[in-house]
Amino acid sequence: MSASSRPIQPGIVGWLTHLVSSALNLPGAYRRELERRRGRTLAMTILAVFAMAYPVLNRLYFQPFSRNVFPLPFPEDAVVTFMMIFGIMAIGLNIVAGFAGLLDLGYVAFYAFGAYTAAFLASPHFGSVSVVLFSNTIQGFPGIHFPFWMLVPLAMITAATFGVLLGAPTLRLRGDYLAIVTLGFGEIVPVVFKNLAAVNFDFGPIHLVNANLTGGNLGINPIDAPHFFGIKFGSSSGIAAVYLGMILLVGAILTARNLERSRMGRAWIAIREDEVAAEMMGINTVRTKLLAFGLGASFAGVAGVFQASYQGLTTSDFFTFATSILVLIMVILGGIGNIWGVLVGALVLVFVDKTFLPWLGLRFTEISPDLPNPSQFNFLIFGVLLVAMMRFRPEGFIPSRQRAAELHHAPPGQAIGAAATMGDAAIAGEEAVEELAAEQEAIATADEAAEVIDIEGPPGDAPGRAGT
Amino acid sequence: MAAAPVPRTGTQPDADLLVKARHVTKKFGGLTAVNAVDFDIPRGSIVSLIGPNGAGKTTFFNMITGAYTPTAGTITFDGHHLVTQSGNRMRSLKPHAVTELGIGRTFQNIRLFGTMSALDNIRVGLHVHLKSHWWDAVLRLPSMRAEEEYSIQRGEELLELVGLEGRGNIWARNLPYGDQRRLEIGRALATNPKLLLLDEPTAGMNSSETAEMTAFIRSLRTRLNLSVLLIEHDMRVVMGISDRVTVLDYGEVIAEGSPAEVRANPRVVEAYLGRGAASN
Repeated sequence: MSASSRPIQPGIVGWLTHLVSSALNLPGAYRRELERRRGRTLAMTILAVFAMAYPVLNRLYFQPFSRNVFPLPFPEDAVVTFMMIFGIMAIGLNIVAGFAGLLDLGYVAFYAFGAYTAAFLASPHFGSVSVVLFSNTIQGFPGIHFPFWMLVPLAMITAATFGVLLGAPTLRLRGDYLAIVTLGFGEIVPVVFKNLAAVNFDFGPIHLVNANLTGGNLGINPIDAPHFFGIKFGSSSGIAAVYLGMILLVGAILTARNLERSRMGRAWIAIREDEVAAEMMGINTVRTKLLAFGLGASFAGVAGVFQASYQGLTTSDFFTFATSILVLIMVILGGIGNIWGVLVGALVLVFVDKTFLPWLGLRFTEISPDLPNPSQFNFLIFGVLLVAMMRFRPEGFIPSRQRAAELHHAPPGQAIGAAATMGDAAIAGEEAVEELAAEQEAIATADEAAEVIDIEGPPGDAPGRAGT
Repeated sequence: MAAAPVPRTGTQPDADLLVKARHVTKKFGGLTAVNAVDFDIPRGSIVSLIGPNGAGKTTFFNMITGAYTPTAGTITFDGHHLVTQSGNRMRSLKPHAVTELGIGRTFQNIRLFGTMSALDNIRVGLHVHLKSHWWDAVLRLPSMRAEEEYSIQRGEELLELVGLEGRGNIWARNLPYGDQRRLEIGRALATNPKLLLLDEPTAGMNSSETAEMTAFIRSLRTRLNLSVLLIEHDMRVVMGISDRVTVLDYGEVIAEGSPAEVRANPRVVEAYLGRGAASN
């Protein structure tokens, strides 16, 4: 805890000073972390180094090996980039569904808002105007051209705004009802984008005659690729785009983690645990849930901008209900409520969907062309996987301890035993178990006793009324 | 009430009374759960609300906390109207706003955040007094870090106050029953209340634990300068601790006064034990 050891001056300057000093102190912080949790820190370091080196290793060794020596399913650069995109989305959905416990079945809508933000503001689509702003596009080129670093915050704001607009009337609903409303929203948004291809509108200063706003079925292309320091980070760049995605993903992880470890994170978990009690403890539940919805949506906005800029095109076909469900499966399989879990869920599912199943299909056709192609059955496979997980490990690959405990809901007596094995209630120990057992009996007797109220007077003559 | 609309916040805070409820009525469809109840809580006092099951105690409790809106009547707390009337529509302050004004509560059936640690349960109670925004959290600004440090420190103080020092890391649901009751009081105290509402704090406790809890509640009042409203079934607790006792039956106040007066009141005996017992 470096924060407690050194006082921090208030304000931005103090923060910057603190940031610089903690950056200089980083090796020390790493050493402390290594002393504290050796295995975990080492594993994380190796994983991080491997992740950073993967795109290069992939190009230099893995792909040639797979081509020339023995075919192995190494994900290509494009697949790795999509791992980053879905990783960002899974982390965002985890804020809504994992932390705050709000089931959002229309998460893809916010992905669409992000993608269309890029499509509108960084493409020649609106050719009648020419707005070129800090972009590498030549001045006077038709269309609106904003640079990527401006699109990201704009998409976050757009997605979050629509998240709040959707949430404001619906977050008073609970459970299934909220799921249905978000499902509807997720269906409506892509359809709206699909159908705004020939708009006639004449009101006030706006005159539109047969205006093609969204490109309809064809979508919008070409969208400008992200562009920094003279390098393009589009799909043709391969490795560069992977690293840009990695930077965005690391930003998403840090943001989500910082939110989780704050007053807001505690409020979200409190609402998930017991909404009535949370409200009674002074948490404005409506506003806090709206915040979860808006912030969660902004992650999908970033993912959308990156997808559109990376691929250079976007159409409403990308934003189907299946995508919403896919992200939700990532969150559930990975471990709802745990940032690392949902990240692993996203990486594994994109890998299986885009690399492993096609690879398996090729191997099948090598054996016999009549064998089925497994990548046609991807959702069947995910479904079976999901059912199996729900049966055997409902908390996911890397569970949040809290969520695992909620899912394996044991009666309080057993819960103590379970906690003791988790090393959680080491202090409580056996005494607590005995104490609790005694207390349970006390409750049982007290419940009976509550019927007959202990007040002076002849006992047992007439029992107290049972009310309501 | 008067025809003139009641202002949103504020009358003069009453010097003696913390809570002043007048003609409070709550109807659920045809059922009148609470009928024209007048009820006061003097500052610094422990007041008990008793009555048979279904007498309207918890309904009344819930109208103070803002969970229910009264059908008629007024409730003021420390110079704030908890209930306002616009036209013929009654409005209550939202429960979180009531908590912010300084009313903390516990629940009859413990409602802790089970898989959050004891310390984090208390820190949720501190939520209203922490001011950092989400963007402070995202950037981990110094002010936010300082506030988090404060919340841990204050949370540990409160754990010590309710006798749970050193148990802050245990999940709330894994604490023994008596400790859960204490933690709930700690969480309510974290909201820094002027009035503490305790809904059956000794339910399910044996006699020695009950005595301990009674002494604890009494000590809280003196140490923290609190007023306490208690709903309780255990008459030993009520009679031993209360300055005043109000008895509800069928949603109406049938007796009010010191514990001794209430105990001697024949209507109270009748309500609890039936007509036959009262006439004996």
